[in-house]
Amino acid sequence: MIAAVGFLAILVALISSGWLVFEGIRASQLTPADPRRLRIPAIGLAAGGVIAFLSLELAILTHDFTIAYVAKNTAIATPFVFLLAAGWAALEGSVVLWGLMLSVFTWLVWLGVKKGDGLGVLALAVMGAVAVFWFGLMATVANPFAICTEVGNGFCSATSWLPIGNAVAPADGIGPNPLLANHILMAVHPPLLYVGYVGFTVPFAFAISALVRSERSKVWLDRTHRWSLVAWIFLTAGILLGGWWSYEVLGWGGYWAWDPVENAALLPWIAGTAFIHSAIVQRRRSMLQAWNFVLVIITFALTIFGTFLTRSGVVASVHAFSLSAVGPALLIFLGVILFGSLGLFAMRASTVASSPRLESLVSREGFILVNSLLMTLFGFTIIFGTMYPLLVEAFTGREVSVGRPFFDRVAVPIAFLVLLAIGTGATAPWRVETGRVLWQRTRVGLNAGFVAAAIAVLLGVRSVSIVAVIGLAGFVIGNIVAFYVHQTSRSHRGGKPWPSALFATVRNDMGYWGGQISHIGITLAVVAIATTSVLAIRTEVPLAVGETAIVDDYCVEYLEPFSRVEPERNVFGARVAVLDRTCSDVRAVLEPRLHEYTKFGQVIATPSVWTTWVDDVYLNVAATNEDGIRLKVLVFPLQWLLWVGGFVIVAGGVLALGRKPRKRTPTSNDGDKRKHADA
Amino acid sequence: MPERARNLLWLIAPLVALVVVIVGLWPTDQATADPEARAYNLAVRLKCPICAGESLAGSQTDLAKNLRLRIDEEIAAGSTDDEIVAMFVANYGEQVLLDPPRSGWGIALWAVPLGIAVVGGIAVYGLKRKERDTTEVRS
Repeated sequence: MIAAVGFLAILVALISSGWLVFEGIRASQLTPADPRRLRIPAIGLAAGGVIAFLSLELAILTHDFTIAYVAKNTAIATPFVFLLAAGWAALEGSVVLWGLMLSVFTWLVWLGVKKGDGLGVLALAVMGAVAVFWFGLMATVANPFAICTEVGNGFCSATSWLPIGNAVAPADGIGPNPLLANHILMAVHPPLLYVGYVGFTVPFAFAISALVRSERSKVWLDRTHRWSLVAWIFLTAGILLGGWWSYEVLGWGGYWAWDPVENAALLPWIAGTAFIHSAIVQRRRSMLQAWNFVLVIITFALTIFGTFLTRSGVVASVHAFSLSAVGPALLIFLGVILFGSLGLFAMRASTVASSPRLESLVSREGFILVNSLLMTLFGFTIIFGTMYPLLVEAFTGREVSVGRPFFDRVAVPIAFLVLLAIGTGATAPWRVETGRVLWQRTRVGLNAGFVAAAIAVLLGVRSVSIVAVIGLAGFVIGNIVAFYVHQTSRSHRGGKPWPSALFATVRNDMGYWGGQISHIGITLAVVAIATTSVLAIRTEVPLAVGETAIVDDYCVEYLEPFSRVEPERNVFGARVAVLDRTCSDVRAVLEPRLHEYTKFGQVIATPSVWTTWVDDVYLNVAATNEDGIRLKVLVFPLQWLLWVGGFVIVAGGVLALGRKPRKRTPTSNDGDKRKHADA
Repeated sequence: MPERARNLLWLIAPLVALVVVIVGLWPTDQATADPEARAYNLAVRLKCPICAGESLAGSQTDLAKNLRLRIDEEIAAGSTDDEIVAMFVANYGEQVLLDPPRSGWGIALWAVPLGIAVVGGIAVYGLKRKERDTTEVRS
């Protein structure tokens, strides 16, 4: 019953999205363009998407094992949170979640399209076309509501694609993959990533609409500015929580392994970040319009490419959970998007390109352009490195691997250059920065950077790369803070008392200062990435009960083993005390565990972490034997700074959303220049 | 105070700090890396042969655990990093290297991104150049 309702909802959404394309194209050609004709398909699409998602969740929560997806991915004993998350944890469910977001976003865009808005009406048609693909996927090769028609060995052994006919249910479902049901973050981070992925559909749709209509203006950027930013915020948060999950669950202490699927999430983030920045240049300086079209098309294509990498299994990855006909479908869709949109762009490039008016590379737009190109290079290198084994195998038949050492070696110099450009460019004026202004706006940062580096050395840091990163961080943060103080003191001299001057500076340009907060966040995160990878201590010690071992500045003592039976799993744990170096003062007691998932025959180590202001002590049971345990003890300096830095990045993005709309008259088209140029 | 003198004041702190950094980081005998750090750095460079895209350092499989112990033994026996890597390549083929050798096909992995970087640099230079030409014509 639920299956039939859900499947019907998918069909309704599919028909509505096709209708949206057809009617959207027609309505955009009317004068004035009339969005009211899109009312029924827009509402039908949203309703279909919402009902399909709710049906799947309802089926999961009521343990309707007649639905093959439910029987495969959930079990009666699955905890509530992971039941909810099962709605998107596996392939078909993830497509449903994608469809839900896309259909709701389309409806929200429709709400904002007024009469005579040809750009918006055609953008809705583009979104409809994207929705046709996703709901078409659900109606065919990725149907979440396929029913179980035969039960063998307690499992669903045959399914029917069409949810009509006699459905049978196994007594219990199989349950989610233990790795996915081991930590709450795994339930949260995919939806965040998906909001990010799907959100970039909106600027893409407006860009395509503007290209088709040969609209040579920044209207499409102005209207999608918030969408891009929201998508970017969610993508950032999703990547961070994914890294955090990896750190908390995978047991080797890493948060990033340059795995193809991690790269798949990072790539749209890189392209999206470049897009958001170069969009600022177009909105302020009417430059880089062609480049913005290219960037938004690439960003959107990379969201599809990322899904393809995750869901097709073409590249070996720990995250590639499924093999199915969805892979080829995604590949074809990706091809259509790339050839279609870039072909359209090539046809229109001469009409939409803004004239190059870059007066000097040493200017705000110059530094943004440099970083934009660095990000593009970085993204390209990641794609190339990820696909390289596949290419070599295709051409020579040889098997090769590309992993972390390669990506690290590429990422480090690019990160240095990007931070240098942020530190110099974020406070640079538009158009041209004279040597004098450059000096005035970077001298505080130079001082802060060198002093920070010297302090690090005096505190005992002996790694050249760490000292360099800390110096660079001092430079970036010093310049931004100095510029903030400068702006604030100007408005204080203008008659405002200090507290309200501090506040007014930010309030007058929340987009700018939100961006600067994100810049500070990324700088902090880079420092943490450097310290946790270069200065980490990794060791493995055999311990019997009562024994101690000294690791770095700590002493660990194996207190006792414990075990318990939980639903779905057996827990074996070790109670371990972390003491000071002299083994006399207990600082914390940790419980690293092994979780044995009997049904899957899988043992998953679950580390335990103790965080201090200086570092993280990370314990993981590597093995157990009759003498005791082999305990992995890892110490990561400043690990907390990575999570704090990530939070600051997201917070900056949120602040930028609240930017005050800039009221402009055609003649005073550079209000920012007045405010920033004279230091 | 004249502006030039004031600007020089801004340079005092960086110069002092630079001296501290250079003196502090002056290379001493750092070559004696401890065996555990060496073992980890090797494990990061080598792929777990039976895993999907995980390194020996990241994998929790028994094989990876055994191979990590093998690295420890080799280091204890006095093998150099290159010897240990060569041993793994001999046993498991070139695909254990997560960092492909920079020879033969491996050159493309580095050459293609570098080529893109050069082309991008030239493009920006061209954009700038074109601008200079048009302004000259205008003036």
